[in-house]
Amino acid sequence: MKAIFKREARSFFTGMVGYVAVALLLGFIGLWFTANCLIYGTPDFSIVLYSSTLIMLFVLPALSMRSFADERRNKTDQLLLTSPVTIPQIVLGKFFAQLAVFAVPVLAACVMPLVLTAFGSVLLPGAYATLLAYFLLGAACIAVGTFLSALTENQIIAYLAAFGLLLTAYLMEDIQSLFTTGSTLALIVFGAALAVAAALTGLGCRSLGAGCAVLGVGAAALFLLFRLRPAWLLAALNSALDALALFAPFRSFVGGMFSVSAIVYYLSVTALFLFLTGQALERRRWN
Amino acid sequence: MIEVSHLTKRYGAHTAVDDISFTVEDGCICGLLGPNGAGKTTTMNVITGYLSPTAGTVRIGGHDIQQEPQAAKACLGYLPEQPPLYADMTVAEYLDFAAELKGLRKKADRAAAAARAAARAGLDGMARRLIRNLSKGYRQRVGLAAALLGDPRVIILDEPTVGLDPAQMIEIRALIRDLGRQHTVILSSHLLSEVQAVCDRVLIIAGGKLVAQGAPGELAARLTARGVLSATAQGPKQAVLAAAAAVPGLRDVRLTAENGEEISFTAASADGGDHRAALSAALAAAGCPVLSLASEQMSLEDVFLQLTEPDPAAAAETPDKEEKAHESDL
Repeated sequence: MKAIFKREARSFFTGMVGYVAVALLLGFIGLWFTANCLIYGTPDFSIVLYSSTLIMLFVLPALSMRSFADERRNKTDQLLLTSPVTIPQIVLGKFFAQLAVFAVPVLAACVMPLVLTAFGSVLLPGAYATLLAYFLLGAACIAVGTFLSALTENQIIAYLAAFGLLLTAYLMEDIQSLFTTGSTLALIVFGAALAVAAALTGLGCRSLGAGCAVLGVGAAALFLLFRLRPAWLLAALNSALDALALFAPFRSFVGGMFSVSAIVYYLSVTALFLFLTGQALERRRWN
Repeated sequence: MIEVSHLTKRYGAHTAVDDISFTVEDGCICGLLGPNGAGKTTTMNVITGYLSPTAGTVRIGGHDIQQEPQAAKACLGYLPEQPPLYADMTVAEYLDFAAELKGLRKKADRAAAAARAAARAGLDGMARRLIRNLSKGYRQRVGLAAALLGDPRVIILDEPTVGLDPAQMIEIRALIRDLGRQHTVILSSHLLSEVQAVCDRVLIIAGGKLVAQGAPGELAARLTARGVLSATAQGPKQAVLAAAAAVPGLRDVRLTAENGEEISFTAASADGGDHRAALSAALAAAGCPVLSLASEQMSLEDVFLQLTEPDPAAAAETPDKEEKAHESDL
């Protein structure tokens, strides 16, 4: 894992990607820091980080897009997968290398709240807690991008897919507010999800019966739920959509609160997508 | 030692490798020979653990590649068809990285292993060069050096001499023979001369199946013993081939040349006996004068072609039927 981490981290800085990513993140954090804190005089550093989550959407997929897509295209994954290292070691080595690049602007931003103390009283624990959440949010974004990179051998597709997915997560609350969610909409959404799940099951097991069985049982359960407890269906849809709003929990830190649930959420998302990345690599060996 | 038993790999409906079993002893250079698309690379990818088999097992030095992948891969060096090189690294950086992947923890060990492997693969003075700027031949050597790192017991080389110039080819072949003294080597090739020159054993693969195995000389001898006749007769193609095929003890009648009414073909003796007289008599009886008739020696090349080409009998049947149908129409 150490070997992969070192090679990966070095490759970000032998090319331009690492420098550009660090420069962009640091540049925009600095811009908002100057505008909000230094000129306008806000002592709240979390506002700066909140604004700059937008930049993550553009920059972090650029870090993760190459990770597995490029290995596969250049067939260098043959070296990794035929060496005595495990797939989790490969995935973690690559993930931590990207995290190390992302850590550079975050560490540099650690100085900024200290600068503010020269002008007045600043709530330092709050500022550093927000930085921690910001770092974990970035880690989750990187894990999502790494997973998508493991699904394709084209890094442009990996970038666009990661950007699209993160943008959807970023805008999830707006998207939710576009629709007046009623239980009928919930039924339609869950019905569509069920149809996709049934089709995947059918294709995965290569049997029409299995797919139809999943569809039949699922449809019956959904319909019963819709007739008897429509409120449950609506609540389920809302919480499912809330769970997809990756950037929303970060907001609680901006209010000055330390949210343990947000930390757990980001760590879980990271772990889930790294696990899926490993599964995607393993699956490719079986195709 | 490599034990492959009942190895099968399917991609969807396509079966790339179909129930192959073989064993390669320690200190043996084994050649996988087959036309393009025969399943050589897939076989190697499964042996090295890059792909998982659909069925069957692979054991490297007693370790199952699926059950104990770390232990099995630790005694393995693999040079894939396209060397897995990172273009943005120098040769020294790449070898250091590959050595660390192989589990060499100490920096001094890695440097020593990399220097030894680089010297063996003929990479002296190339350590500081960027891989991006290397020629195909040198990239092949870097891949080979990476496969040699850490002195693995088993070395697997997928078409190691493709893209090399003749001098480099000879050099690499000498290196492979040298490696065979201490390591078990499997190499794939579609060049017969290479396999004949380098390998102690040959496995011939065609259409995903193992069609023959043995020492190169032995394989050629075994098929020569069957006796192959080559003959030229005058007459209509169908009549000549039908007459030859009707001779008891002759099989694999195949057309080799057709020049007007002069039909050249080869036929193999199924029981090893000499059927020249019977063939001559049969052709004469069919009204096709024999122009020449000789019993042929088979080279490994002929063995290879005979084993790997699709069955000529099946191929010859189709036009035959069409013609008959045409006749009945008239």
